[in-house]
Amino acid sequence: MTTFQLILYILIFLPLCLLFYRLTPQKHRWKALLGFSIIFYLMLCRELSLILYLAGAVLITHYIGIWLAWLQSEEQREIRESADSAGKSREKEIRSRYRTRARGVLAFGVLLLLSILAGLKYYNFLIRTLSEILNGAGLSSSLSEIRILLPLGISFYTLQAIGYMADVYWGRIKAEPSLAKTALFLMFFPQIIEGPICRHSDTAEMLYAGKTPERTDFTAGYIRIFWGLFKKLVIADRLALLVSQVFDDYRDYSGVVVAVSAVAYTIQLYMEFSGFIDIVIGSGRLFGIRLPENFRQPFCSQSAAEFWRRWHITLGVWFKSYIFYPVSVSGTVKRWNQYGRKHAGKYLTRLVTSALALFPVWLCNGLWHGDRWSYIFYGMYYFTLIILGTAIEPVRDRVLSACHISADSIWLRSFRILKTWLIIFTGELFFRADGLKAGIHMFRSIFRDFDIGNLWDGTLLNLGMSPADFAAVIAGCIIVAAVGHIREHSGSISTRIAGSSLPLRWGVCYALLFALLLFAAYGDGYQAIDLIYAGF
Amino acid sequence: MEKLMNILNEIDDSIDFASEERLIDDQLLDSFGVITLVAELEEAFDITIEASEMVPENFNSAAAMWKMVTRLQQEN
Amino acid sequence: MKRLKKGILFFLTFFFLLGLCSAAASRITAGCRGCVRGRSRVFAGISAEKKDSLDVIFLGDSESYTSFSPMDLWAQHGIASYNCGQSSQRIQETYYMLKTALQTQSPKLVILETNLMFRDPGLAENVLLTVGEPLRFYFPALRYHNIWKSVFDGPKTDADSFKGFPVHSDIEPYTGAKKYMQPTDSVKKMPAHTYLYMDMIRKLCAKNNASLLLVSTTSPVNYSYPKHNALEAYARRYNIPYFDLNLDDRAGIDWEKDTMDKGDHLNLSGARKVTAVLGSYLMENYSLPDHRGEKKYSDWNTLLEQYQTAADRTENG
Repeated sequence: MTTFQLILYILIFLPLCLLFYRLTPQKHRWKALLGFSIIFYLMLCRELSLILYLAGAVLITHYIGIWLAWLQSEEQREIRESADSAGKSREKEIRSRYRTRARGVLAFGVLLLLSILAGLKYYNFLIRTLSEILNGAGLSSSLSEIRILLPLGISFYTLQAIGYMADVYWGRIKAEPSLAKTALFLMFFPQIIEGPICRHSDTAEMLYAGKTPERTDFTAGYIRIFWGLFKKLVIADRLALLVSQVFDDYRDYSGVVVAVSAVAYTIQLYMEFSGFIDIVIGSGRLFGIRLPENFRQPFCSQSAAEFWRRWHITLGVWFKSYIFYPVSVSGTVKRWNQYGRKHAGKYLTRLVTSALALFPVWLCNGLWHGDRWSYIFYGMYYFTLIILGTAIEPVRDRVLSACHISADSIWLRSFRILKTWLIIFTGELFFRADGLKAGIHMFRSIFRDFDIGNLWDGTLLNLGMSPADFAAVIAGCIIVAAVGHIREHSGSISTRIAGSSLPLRWGVCYALLFALLLFAAYGDGYQAIDLIYAGF
Repeated sequence: MEKLMNILNEIDDSIDFASEERLIDDQLLDSFGVITLVAELEEAFDITIEASEMVPENFNSAAAMWKMVTRLQQEN
Repeated sequence: MKRLKKGILFFLTFFFLLGLCSAAASRITAGCRGCVRGRSRVFAGISAEKKDSLDVIFLGDSESYTSFSPMDLWAQHGIASYNCGQSSQRIQETYYMLKTALQTQSPKLVILETNLMFRDPGLAENVLLTVGEPLRFYFPALRYHNIWKSVFDGPKTDADSFKGFPVHSDIEPYTGAKKYMQPTDSVKKMPAHTYLYMDMIRKLCAKNNASLLLVSTTSPVNYSYPKHNALEAYARRYNIPYFDLNLDDRAGIDWEKDTMDKGDHLNLSGARKVTAVLGSYLMENYSLPDHRGEKKYSDWNTLLEQYQTAADRTENG
């Protein structure tokens, strides 16, 4: 989505939808939402045929859900019928028979969706890797890479669809009988591009209910939207100038400049991704729909593990619910657990169990981001750090108590936050670098010609950002940090502003609007920057 | 119930398990803690906790866990 | 009903505040030479000229500001002109450029370099410009919003621009056919929105008692006979004079050294030749006052000296 499309969406598409929504009788409102979602998707699709993938995913998800529900009702019927005649042992047999069948149906659905996703995302990667191997063996391959257009939001709606089917399978939710309603759940328009990845229990009820939004929803929604735009246009799009210059010609830079660009990219990514999520959540709010939060002040995390509970939260929750826990209660892990507790001691058992359950999570996290070795490296990087964190935890606690340092002391907390920042910046350096080789090159070049003086001797001013741009970014970050501080300690700000007196409400709106009109990176010397996460 | 409290206190004795009702939601119990707990519960009560049980509602408080344990024992 | 009233009040207040910002932005822009950069610089430049001091306004894209040098017209004929050319200008911008100029100037002659009449940026961009340009005109805060940056970045001297004409010394010879204007009957089509905005430009000129003159500068990359035919037909239809420098060899352009990018744009030496021809054309066809020696224009002579120095520097090395 370009900035231009974003502005049109906010100023024209949203108000029109909202008006139409309010005029529609409550019981038909969900149909209006589905209609908007289809129009929205078609307008943003680069090729109309790409909507077929989404339609396919909707059909698969829906009918797998229906199939699972049918199996469940059949199971109940058989159990009821057998109850009078045979008794308990028969019930067990029926249960296990249906379980196997249901598991097969679920696996079929999940594999179908995953193979579409993997086919589109990793086809070229596989071809490349395969031909490298063949070349290495002295053979030539006749397969060539093809240009693939990814359907908008496929990485996001696929996860949502899998979550829905698994929830039906586990009996956490009832299968949705209406195909159109399933479609709305999967493609609700603001969230289809970059998430948040919703669970059926998060949003479905609100989407279908069509309740009239409250008065404060309107103000809170628009404040949230403008806040998101502020983060993207005032901060992220300025940093993009420096980031693309350094990362695109990474061989020309070393030392402090590379370090600064890693920090700049981390901030850019956060401002852009969380800013767009603000716009998405604000859009939902306008219709009275509360989408789940995706970020919770990630930069005050004290460890890598905590960072991932505060950054791209819905992705983390998805991995936890549908990979981490299922793996951790699977046969293999349980068998290790029993064996370990007898032979390896508690500490080691716990560590290996965690590692076993965590490894697939981070492998998938890497793969999900795309077909690059650097993404897989990124996943493994966090896997290693988080396991290390768990491994040294007891040692650390003992050292701390031996030195009489309270875990809550401000010094220790600051130290841990700074340590986490270093971890995050390094991770994002590899994440943004153009491939793993480039990432390693850049990381090593930080320690070459490292001269801290470059921070203020003007070197940074030759990287596409002028002193005024740095000033705007710094001021913007201070404002975002201040707002984050308030959010961290007293919860949602936009809701409170929306409920306050008129002068304050309007004052905040005008402040945001004029900050955007006057300080956003548009006009002379700036280029519109596309969304980063929409590419995943 | 007492057996359960013993297990919980062994995992983390700094938490007041008797009164906390948002163990998962407030992240007092992290995911590594949960999987250790699952293993302990399975052994102590001779039950099988399956993936479908892995929802916050079952682990948010000691009472909720006890409810799950007794239910699973009956199903056995 | 109450909510509707509130909504209207919200927008009224918004536009009132935007108006305040715009007034401030205009004043700061006028008082701070070189603070506006990029494409908007030209708007700021023309607005900063002394009131009612200009008799000729040049409009157009980069073909205009690389071809016509106001300082040469001043030195040779005492004509006070300003070149409002802007790189790849769209015709919507042309119209509002003229409106901006007319806020402070009452030119006798408006010269439009015709290259932009064939430019078609596509529907989306056209709609955007049609909505955006009036907003930027009536609320200059939007056009000059980056002005705050000069507090940190400092003003940039625009000494390289002489009444909108920058001195370019690079040479990259044009090696194509010398006779690129081969007579033909075919006519190049102009995009529809050009007609719409040309109507508006003509009316605006008429309302302000300014004559309109269409000029095509010498450029083998941008001009051809079908374009000439189209412009000729347009000029005849609306009774506007049209002067095609591509069909006039008095300038004696030497393609070995008079272009800076292989025949797309002229460099200083090419521009001076073309301006001389245009100057005599203006003297023949219009009665434009000679302001040399007038006290009001004393700063033009100072600027001329700087121009001469800059020109000598490039011509000698």
